[in-house]
Amino acid sequence: MDVTLYALSTCPYCRMTKKFLDKNEVEYELVEVDLLEGDEKTDAVATVKELSGGTSFPVLKAGDEIVVGFNKPKLKALLDL
Amino acid sequence: MSAADERPVRRRFEDGTTIEDLRTYMAPFVATLGFRFNDDEEFVEEVLESELEILDRDGDVFCPCRVRTGDPKEDVKIVCPCIPFYLDQFSAMRKCWCGLFVRIDVEDGSKLHGVIEVPEGPVEVRVVAVEDLADGQGRVVTVGKKKLALFRADGEFYCLANVCKHWGAPLGEGYLDGYFAMCPWHGWRFDVRDGTTDHPDADVRVYEVTVRHGEVFVTV
Ligand code: SF4
Repeated sequence: MDVTLYALSTCPYCRMTKKFLDKNEVEYELVEVDLLEGDEKTDAVATVKELSGGTSFPVLKAGDEIVVGFNKPKLKALLDL
Repeated sequence: MSAADERPVRRRFEDGTTIEDLRTYMAPFVATLGFRFNDDEEFVEEVLESELEILDRDGDVFCPCRVRTGDPKEDVKIVCPCIPFYLDQFSAMRKCWCGLFVRIDVEDGSKLHGVIEVPEGPVEVRVVAVEDLADGQGRVVTVGKKKLALFRADGEFYCLANVCKHWGAPLGEGYLDGYFAMCPWHGWRFDVRDGTTDHPDADVRVYEVTVRHGEVFVTV
C-alpha cells in the first residue's frame, strides 16, 4: 500500500506523525508542503484540500484512505500496527 | 511564488520578538475564550518557536499546522490564536488544532497529543468565569456564531436561547426578577429554569450549564 504524508515543516503533530511512522518502520513518501514553491506548492495544497476538505496538517494518505491529524488510533488501524 | 505570498502583512510584532513575548500576548487573550497553554512546556516551546520562524518569514504568527491559502479572508482565520474562529470545534476537541492551547478544565494537556477526533453531539463551551456575572444579573454570551442568554439567579447559572419569540429581543439584555428574565422590549417573562413563558408557544430553548473550576460551561 502506498503511503504519502503531507506535512508542514513547522507543525509539531507532523513531526510526531513522522516519528511514529519511522518507529513503526512504515515506508512513506513525505511531502513538506510549506517547503515547496510555485506551482508545486499550489498543486500540493490543492491535493490536500481535495483529500481532507481542509488545509490542516498532517494528512496521511494510505491507499484510498486518509487520516487527518496525528490520530494515533486511526493511524494504527489503517496501517495495521 | 503566488501573488498572495507577496502580499505584505501588517506587522503586529517588533523585530526580536521572543517566545516569552508571545506567551504574554496570548495568555490573557485565550483565557477569555476558556483556553490556556498546554502543560507540556517543551511542546509549547516547540510550537512557539515555529511561530517565530513563521513570523519572520510571513510577517505574522500564522498557525504552524495549517497552510495559507492566499485568500486574506481565509488566512486571517489561521493567525494564532485562531480559537475564536473554531470555538465549537476546539471546545469539543478540548484543545486547539496544534495542541498549543487546551481547554481550561483539561487536567493534563500532554495526554491529548495523538487524539484529534472531534466527538459528535453536544459540546461544552466555556462562556464566562463565575465572577464575571453577579447574582441577579443576566448577559448575552457568544458561543461560536450563536448568542445565548446567561443568567445567575439565587447563585445558580441558567442559560436560554437569546431570542424572545415575541419580537426577537435579546433576552440576555433584560433584567432578572427572581427566577424570571424579563424581556427588555415588552416585558415578557421567562422562567430561567425551564424557558417557559406566560404566552402560549413562546417558550424558549434551555441549555445545560455546568460550573467547574470557577468557570461556567454551556452545552450547545
Ligand atoms: S490551532 Fe492553535 S497553534 Fe494553530 S493558530 Fe490556532 S490556536 Fe494557534
